[in-house]
Amino acid sequence: MITIRINNESHQLDVTDDMPLLWVLRDILGLTGTKYGCGVAQCGACTIHIDGIPTRACQLPVSLIGDRHITTIEAIGNTREGARIQAVWLQNQVIQCGYCQSGQIMAATALLRDNPNPTDDDIDDAMSGNICRCGTYVRIREAIHQAANNA
Amino acid sequence: MKYFLLVFAVIMAISARSAQAQTDLIERGKTLFRAADCAACHLSSDGQTLSGGKAFPLPFGTVYAVNITPDRETGIGAYTDEQWLRMMRTGVDRNGRHLYPVMPYTSYTFLNDADTLAIKAYLFTLKPVQAKAPENRLPFPFNQRWVMTFWNWFNNPDRRMTTDPHRTPEWNRGAYLVEALGHCDQCHTPRNFMFGLSGKAYAGTVQVGWRAYNLTSDTEHGLGGWSDSELFEYLSTGYAPHRGPASGPMAEAIENSLRYLPAEDIRAMIVYLRSIPARPNGPQRGKRVPGASGENEDVGRHIFQQACMGCHLENGAGRQSDWGALKGAHSLSDPAATNIIGVLRTGTSIKTEHGKMAMPSFTKAYTPQELAAISEYVLGHFGGVKAQIEPDRFKN
Repeated sequence: MITIRINNESHQLDVTDDMPLLWVLRDILGLTGTKYGCGVAQCGACTIHIDGIPTRACQLPVSLIGDRHITTIEAIGNTREGARIQAVWLQNQVIQCGYCQSGQIMAATALLRDNPNPTDDDIDDAMSGNICRCGTYVRIREAIHQAANNA
Repeated sequence: MKYFLLVFAVIMAISARSAQAQTDLIERGKTLFRAADCAACHLSSDGQTLSGGKAFPLPFGTVYAVNITPDRETGIGAYTDEQWLRMMRTGVDRNGRHLYPVMPYTSYTFLNDADTLAIKAYLFTLKPVQAKAPENRLPFPFNQRWVMTFWNWFNNPDRRMTTDPHRTPEWNRGAYLVEALGHCDQCHTPRNFMFGLSGKAYAGTVQVGWRAYNLTSDTEHGLGGWSDSELFEYLSTGYAPHRGPASGPMAEAIENSLRYLPAEDIRAMIVYLRSIPARPNGPQRGKRVPGASGENEDVGRHIFQQACMGCHLENGAGRQSDWGALKGAHSLSDPAATNIIGVLRTGTSIKTEHGKMAMPSFTKAYTPQELAAISEYVLGHFGGVKAQIEPDRFKN
């Protein structure tokens, strides 16, 4: 049995040690807001937070988490930065197809918390691991600037 | 009747004891088989059987690993104990043919009789697989196996290891594990002009396209700067904090062999490794030119942020797991970039108690120019080393 804490709730899991967290989230706990993209930590669609640090759930064996705290897209709106990012995302109509966007929001939230006033370069650096095939990058950048200005 | 029952009981007791002895022997053989890392070479390409077939490209041709399952025709099933001991010590097979020293009999020769035969006993319990190894591809004169007679005169010590009474039992155990079973020197000691092991024991060298590092006590190039706990972590898991993960053939050695060793054996190996005299051999660090960030370095940085940061993070601390933590890895300050090129070209993986940790090959995703730019960037960013990497080194 493995115990993990997700969005302030404790879960007892009967899974193999090497099961990636993404499988636990989607298939066992039904938290399907986190998406499966490439499966090799290259696209960012499955980004979640571990103690606030953006992490790819598809390459994270559940046994490595220990007592660190997981936050997923379902609960990111409960944080100050997460709520602000979600609000500016809606205002700017950032989303097109939406598949990558939960990962984008998780990455943007972490950026804003670490750096309340990011430059274009800071944004490119922090967001470059999150791929969007609709090409919403320009709107993502604008929305992050707006969230920072409203701080 | 009473007499008969007594005899029966004695016979049963004896056969139970000998069955237990046989089980113990096989179990010990399995432990020794792992410590000797036979699987490193003899595992089939699907990783399921010890039927061999792996190619070893050497400077003078290609040699293939043979089948060591107990198949009588294509494997080792027909070996007697005597023939087995001769093969493991002198490199002469059952039919009197000389083996090539890719098979590390110059190390296994140090093993005692009981241990050598325990490995055989274990191998004989495996399922026989009929699989003939491909013919070696060697030009004249290397295809003349009898020539090895002369090579052996100079390069095979052909003796058993003896206990050094001036050293602790732990050191002696470590010596046996490192020199005889682990055959660490086969990769980590530079070779002489005959392609035998040179006198520069454990000074580090390049083998099959990967740099095997200096294991001597030298502080700059060797293990002198490593703490015991760092070495323990690295050898038993393939990762130590601030030392980076094992990759390539070393990751295989940990996956197939070292991670199964009991903790006291790993500690004994460390005690022995500490006693290897320092040799200051190793890649000389290039000098970094301050502020000289070329166009190539920007290309490298951008690709690193897109393709590498997902697992490694910009500061190299590793995102998903410790095995992605590059920071401090020896390979990142080697201006020749041998192992950086190795992992980018072929990828690398290691099985751990948390599952398989893997880095894919990137040659299908990026051009040789881009891969050279990434290599230069990581050398500068993590290793403080300025180097120019030829894109041709990424072409097959």
